Amino acid sequence: MRVIANLDICQGHARCEDLCPEVFSTDPIEGKVVVQVDEIPDDLIEKVRLTVRNCPEGALRLVKGNAQ
Amino acid sequence: MTLLWQPSPPDHVPSDHIVDFDFFDIPAGCTDPTEIWHNLVKQGVPPIFYTPHNGGHWVFLNYADVVEGYRNHELFSTYQTPIPPIEPFPIMQPQGIDPPDNKVFRLLLSPMFTPLAVRRMTEGLHARANHLIDTFEAKNHCDFVRDYAELFPTATFLELFGLGAERLPEFLALANTFFRSVDPAVRAQNVTDIYAVLDQLFREKNANPGTDIASTIVQGRDENGQQHKWDDILNCGFLLFVAGLDTVTNTMTYIWRYLATNPRARQHFISKMDDQQASLIALEELMRINAVSNLYRRVTKDCEFRGIQFKRNDRVILPNTVANRDNKIFENAMEIDLNRKVNNHVTFGVGPHRCIGSHLAKREILVSIQAWLTRIPDFHLDNGDVGAEAFGGAVMGFRSLKLRW
Repeated sequence: MRVIANLDICQGHARCEDLCPEVFSTDPIEGKVVVQVDEIPDDLIEKVRLTVRNCPEGALRLVKGNAQ
Repeated sequence: MTLLWQPSPPDHVPSDHIVDFDFFDIPAGCTDPTEIWHNLVKQGVPPIFYTPHNGGHWVFLNYADVVEGYRNHELFSTYQTPIPPIEPFPIMQPQGIDPPDNKVFRLLLSPMFTPLAVRRMTEGLHARANHLIDTFEAKNHCDFVRDYAELFPTATFLELFGLGAERLPEFLALANTFFRSVDPAVRAQNVTDIYAVLDQLFREKNANPGTDIASTIVQGRDENGQQHKWDDILNCGFLLFVAGLDTVTNTMTYIWRYLATNPRARQHFISKMDDQQASLIALEELMRINAVSNLYRRVTKDCEFRGIQFKRNDRVILPNTVANRDNKIFENAMEIDLNRKVNNHVTFGVGPHRCIGSHLAKREILVSIQAWLTRIPDFHLDNGDVGAEAFGGAVMGFRSLKLRW
């Protein structure tokens, strides 16, 4: 599984970084999401799933497959 | 209160969508100004309604409509929005500019307010919290508003702007008038006063720049390498002044009243002190429940929205406190759940004008909770005082909260 972040929609709430810093951080200029992990480890999938639901802009998606 | 201007509702407003509602009018004895908003929902008024008070404006009550009010900037502009109207009103940079032009100042400011930038301020915020607590801890009581909640964000603002702490009373007075007065003459003079202070400040920073936010703004350059227009520089300072003081003060006041009467909540924060994620989840729930701001928007064109006719220049209020308790969105919406799993509250807005200071505001509040509970883990309302002099308007709150421990 991997996360796709839509940076056009992301407004830098940083809820993802608060909830799951293992996978998400934010950039130092606009404070938008940076997905740090290409393939989400199995033990983090539930946490990431919950984090995706907590994006106030709906900018994150959890999808099957690794990053290409 | 006396109504300054209450014309008949305009012809395009359907009569069954008119409600007699004045968001500045807090009934005597009311200690929670958000109640006037929640009562609207209880009374079953239409989720989009018009009130003739305060120059006449719409109100959106549903979470989905409030979110649309924030996101759809082509229909709901932030340009020239004050309620009741003040004209001309300063165009706040970047909040009062519609996308994409708001990007210029937003990009200038954002590096100073990212989570990374705010993490670097944490130590200083802790020191400020402890310094303020020093002034009253041994007395075993305080007026939380006067002794802490007003001082903390204002002192933070002064430091970020490279100003001395001795100017605290002057800035507190300017902010109080800005948020509380409904007298057009007083408000107009107040805006003039704020601009005079900012003009002097930016002139000084222009001559002797430091590393503070004011210096960064004044040293910012446009696409041609020129300094931004002086008016825009002032308008940006104005935004940071009005956005970062009163909001934090009143959010804190609400939160401390809650903590004073909820030992389990205090214990929750104490037990999670070393668990950053759990602390942030609990903080986020306090932000959802204690949403003190009512945001304004202006309709850009004659249109139909949710089956209702709107006219260009109609004003709209987006009450976060109502959206945040919409039971279509939030499970047990009226309950405070410090472990809430999904919490897409709109306290900081959503969309292109999402509060740029949200990370600083949250850090100020969490640092304050943790510093306070470390030193004063057990406290209560002094003599049952539940807060006095409640006020409504764009930012809601109460002007006194007596605590004892």
